[in-house]
Amino acid sequence: MTPEHTTLPPQQADGGDHLVSGRSLWGDARRRIMRDPWAMICLGIIVLYALIAIGGVCYELAAEHYDDVPAFEETSDYDNTNRHPSLESPRFYLGTDWAGKSVLYKTLLGVKVSLTVGFMANIVAIPLGVILGAIAGFYGKWIDTLIVWLFSTLASIPGIMLLIALRYAFEEIPPIFGIIDLAGVPGVCVALGVVSWIGTCRLVRAEVMKIRELDYVIAARAIGTPKFIIMLRHVIPNVLHLAIINFSLGFVWAVKSEVILSYLGLGVPVGVPSWGNMINAARTDLFMGRWWELTAAVGAMFFLVLALNIFGDRLRDSLDPKLRNV
Amino acid sequence: MINNADDNTLLTVTGLKTYFPVRGGLLSRTKAWVKAVNGVDLTVRRGKTLGLVGESGSGKTTAGRTLLRLIRPTGGKVVFDGQDVFSLKGSEMRAVRKRIQIIFQDPVGSLNPRMSVGNIVGEPLKVHSSMTRRERQAEVGRLLERVGLAAGYARRYPHEFSGGQRQRIGIARALAPKPDFIVCDEPVSALDVSIQAQILNLLSDLQDELGLSYLFIAHNLAVVEHFAHQVAVMYLGKIVEVADRDALYNSPTHPYTRALLSAVPRPEPNADRERIRLPGEVPSPINPPSGCTFHPRCPLTRQLAADLSGSERHTVVVDGQASPIVKRCTIDMPELKPVAGDGAHCHACLLQQD
Ligand SMILES: Nc1ncnc2c1ncn2[C@@H]1O[C@H](COP(=O)(O)OP(=O)(O)OP(=O)(O)O)[C@@H](O)[C@H]1O
Ligand SMILES: [Mg+2]
Repeated sequence: MTPEHTTLPPQQADGGDHLVSGRSLWGDARRRIMRDPWAMICLGIIVLYALIAIGGVCYELAAEHYDDVPAFEETSDYDNTNRHPSLESPRFYLGTDWAGKSVLYKTLLGVKVSLTVGFMANIVAIPLGVILGAIAGFYGKWIDTLIVWLFSTLASIPGIMLLIALRYAFEEIPPIFGIIDLAGVPGVCVALGVVSWIGTCRLVRAEVMKIRELDYVIAARAIGTPKFIIMLRHVIPNVLHLAIINFSLGFVWAVKSEVILSYLGLGVPVGVPSWGNMINAARTDLFMGRWWELTAAVGAMFFLVLALNIFGDRLRDSLDPKLRNV
Repeated sequence: MINNADDNTLLTVTGLKTYFPVRGGLLSRTKAWVKAVNGVDLTVRRGKTLGLVGESGSGKTTAGRTLLRLIRPTGGKVVFDGQDVFSLKGSEMRAVRKRIQIIFQDPVGSLNPRMSVGNIVGEPLKVHSSMTRRERQAEVGRLLERVGLAAGYARRYPHEFSGGQRQRIGIARALAPKPDFIVCDEPVSALDVSIQAQILNLLSDLQDELGLSYLFIAHNLAVVEHFAHQVAVMYLGKIVEVADRDALYNSPTHPYTRALLSAVPRPEPNADRERIRLPGEVPSPINPPSGCTFHPRCPLTRQLAADLSGSERHTVVVDGQASPIVKRCTIDMPELKPVAGDGAHCHACLLQQD
């Protein structure tokens, strides 16, 4: 191959040299999301929640190691039960519950449970959904049949029923390695994960089946690139944006599901401060006109879910290659 | 086509068939077959271009991809440089893949949007050579310059380029493994007319310089006129006429070729090149007409049927209009046979063969 003879001088080749240099679609998406004020406000809120969750972890560690820091369970104060919200002291800002524990502190500690559940349920489920969906869609044949059968079977059971069944089943299982107690928070994460990979898998499979037929995949086959490498290099990078979008939506779903499960008494154990447990407790509270515990839990959840939803939506817009030039 | 396989022949395709299943109903059984390619014979000579022309849906893309084994063939044989392509295994097939490449019609869909141009053009080098990263980068730069782009474009991404430039990137990728043969599937159909000429010139220069052979697919006869050495005309999955370029453009014999040719604008106004309008539309390849698949639309059979007796005639209804045609055309399947006096010129028309 000798470059001495070219049909056109390089710079004149239809168009000239007006191009910006080297922007990948990922870089492009990042730039666009950073310029989107709503996305950034929501990201700020999410980061704030994350900081609160980290604060909660620090507090728990401190309570474990220092005798003068009481664990939250030990903060009952029977002289101050069911107090209305007041500005007397920070621990009364959002009132107290039946045992005199601060509702504000309980709400803040609940952030940790919600974020843990949201994160852990998806960190396994999304990659699992992407990998199985990509394999099913790309290889087709019997492996597709098998994976479709698997998720169709799981999907035919209403999600909430499956969650409840799994939670009951987990109660019988002794802690794995002596630490992962499926009857507690880890069990909630696993149960949510088992349910939530299905949506991602289905979506990714459908998209992969489309991409498999595109010319750039055909080109790679014509080159002789091995099948597995084609899947890794050409197919998966083009569905990865779906994984990121699904992560934010799956997060919302997991946060809500934890609340529902806890409300049903099947979520995190009763003593653990979580929004679901707070709403559960409010069942009796409301009769007595004690509205603050319910309001605090619902409000905390509302802002997190709203921020995640808007952020997920904006993320979708900026990651979708089809909406690039809009 | 006559099997004149000699040293000048790079590729011969015989009786190529590709059927796609149409599934439907309960348990998605195969209900019917789309006969996209239904017995195609082609010969590509070394260093030459064979134009493959036909209307949309005639099966050109499918034929081009099947002979590269990108679609599973239903039947037929492809011999590339003495090797039977459909029976090759593993490493032998990889060796052939290196020698046959493809260029696509759609400048957007043919490049992976998540890969840099350098990685796209470098992929064949990664698969087929043991170059170091640095050598590969240098080679990619050379390839880009060869197709009229700057070597520095390697860092950029497909969406930063115009259609014509993307097509050049696709050509650079096809050139990377140093192929002998390239299937060009309507490489200029999606481009502006001014850019079409640039790309055609580039392909033509590359052919002269590297001795490449092309199968050049196009949907009208205008594009290949100044580019192909031989032209094959395809209709509903079959070749109806093939000839050297001059013979085909100056003395076409098949009525379908004549109709196509009448649509090509000529510089000099020519009385006998009046536009021939074919009645009806291209039939579905799921259920092609019996006998000669062109018979419902054929002007020649209509013309000849006028002089025939009732028993030799048959009536077809096209566009709500009944017309008599030669009965034989609805029964016998025409074969691709040489036109008298020109061994390289073949056609598949019952009415002009004996
Ligand atoms: N994967 C497939 N499954 C089913 N039918 C197909 C498939 N690919 C092509 N076909 C059908 O086969 C026929 C030939 O298609 P093909 O794309 O080869 O035509 P073409 O001559 O390249 O047309 P165009 O000029 O539009 O590119 C069409 O009727 C098309 O609908
Ligand atoms: Mg085509």
